This record gives sequence, C-alpha cells and structure tokens, in this order.
Amino acid sequence: MATQNQQARTTQRQDSVGYDRVVLRDAAGKTLQLSRKEFENLPLRERVTHLIGGTAEFFSGGVQVSPSDAMRR
Amino acid sequence: MSVSVQSIDSIAAATEAVVRRADARFDAHREEILRTTDRMFVWLLIGQWLFAIFLALTVSPYAWQGKEKTVHVHVWAAIFLGGAITAFPVALSLLRPGALLTRHVIAAAQMFWSALLIHLTGGRIETHFHVFGSLAFLAFYRDWPVLITGTLVVAADHFMRGILWPESVYGITNPEWWRFLEHAGWVVFIVVFLIMSCRRGLRDMKEMAERGAELEAISENQWRKSSVVDREAADRVRR
Repeated sequence: MATQNQQARTTQRQDSVGYDRVVLRDAAGKTLQLSRKEFENLPLRERVTHLIGGTAEFFSGGVQVSPSDAMRR
Repeated sequence: MSVSVQSIDSIAAATEAVVRRADARFDAHREEILRTTDRMFVWLLIGQWLFAIFLALTVSPYAWQGKEKTVHVHVWAAIFLGGAITAFPVALSLLRPGALLTRHVIAAAQMFWSALLIHLTGGRIETHFHVFGSLAFLAFYRDWPVLITGTLVVAADHFMRGILWPESVYGITNPEWWRFLEHAGWVVFIVVFLIMSCRRGLRDMKEMAERGAELEAISENQWRKSSVVDREAADRVRR
C-alpha cells in the first residue's frame, strides 16, 4: 500500500515536472539564479550553450530536476 | 591548446549547429505555411471566378437595349474582369509560391473580388461579409502586413466607389459621404484581432523551434557525458 502511494506520488510528480527556477554557472564558477520566465527570455544561443555545457541546474518547487524532466513542460 | 579551451570551442560549435538547425526548422515551417496558403488561394480565386459567372448568369443574364435583348454587362464583367483579377495572383502562386509579392498580390486580388461580388449583387449588405471572410483567410499566412494590404485596398475601393458609383457598393444612390469610414472601422476592428492572432501564431512557431533546440542541446549534453565506449557502441548501432 505504502509502495503504491509512493508510486502514485512519483507518477504525479513526473507528470507535472517542469521547472520554476534555474541556476546558471559561468566559466569562473559564479552562479546566477533566474526564474523560468527570465531563463526563457534569454537568447536561444545562450540557453543552448548552458544546456550543452551542463551549466544549468533546474529546480521545481525547490527540488533539483534533470534538464530533460525540466523541459517536459 | 588546453582541454578546457578545446571543450569551450566544441560547445560553441555545437551551440552554433543547434541554433542554426532551429532557425532552419522555423524557416521551413513558415515557408510551408506560406506555400500551402498560396495554394489554398489558387482554388479559392478560381472558385470565386466560377461563382461570379454563375451569379451573373443567374441574377442578371440579359439586358434590354430598346427591343433588343443582349447579354448583361455583369456577365462580361464576371468573365473578363473576374478573369483578370484571378489570373495574375494564380500565376504568381504557381510560379513564385511563398514569395512576399505573391501573398500581397493575392490580398489585393481577394479584396477586388469582394468589390466585384458586391457590385454584382447590387451592393447587397450581406455580400460585404465576403470582406471579413477574406481577411480571415488572409490571416492563414500568419504574416500581418498582408492584412494591411487587404485593408487598404478595400478601404480605397469603398471610398472611390462611394463617391463615383455609390449604388454599386451600398445599393443606394445617396449614402452619407462617411459611409466608407463606417465599413472601414469594422474592417479595422477585425484586422486588429487578426494581427494579434498572426503574431501569436508566429511566436508559437518560434517557441516550438526553440523547444526542439533545447531538447537537442540536452541530448548533446548527455552524449558528451557518456563514456567513449558507450559512444562508440551507440555510433555502431546508428551505422
């Protein structure tokens, strides 16, 4: 029963995965925190550079999510 | 060259490739919409031509000159004027599909068609709805300047005919001089919302292309993180 509930919660969470906050790291290791809207408003080139370089960390409700989960919604 | 510099260079090159592909996807999508809409108008223009001939033959096929029965001028107008309005945009659609000039000529022609149909029906107010339908069809291009061309043509037509031949456009001989402004006002009303819809449509297309680029970038990142052995295996499978 407990496992079922956990599974249901995980499925629910996965369905609604997206992101509300992004932390970007530059070459010097400095970080910059952006809201989803701010990140989406960055030029595509910049977003893609961070995604390819793995220098963007995505968060949903304070929990870190993988970039692929973040991009689901 | 240090490893990190090499890595930055390769990220920059990969970024460039991903962004270029996103732009290409967006351009291809837009081009497809423009060409498809051009094709749609080819059929619409030809259909309107046939309809106008049918209308002229049904509503006023003959006229009388004294005791002599002759073919009404409306029939000739439907055949020849209608043919002239249709021929150029249809030729452009077939020869230069997707071109800027093609869609602006189509917009003007579509409004000339509204004018001719309004004239053929003696300025019936119901036929004026053709203008609104045409503007909606023009919005399929998702290119708002086309709507401006259409609006200018229809406003100029109403203004000129309102002065020179009011019966042809309003069905009465003495409309108020500002009647064309009333019609133009309703046209502007719909065009404002159609422009918003065109811009929204274009933005959605852009977002779709960018979303594709982001997913491609994530997959590129995962590929880079995977081990050399894994990559070789993946390449073998791909081959």
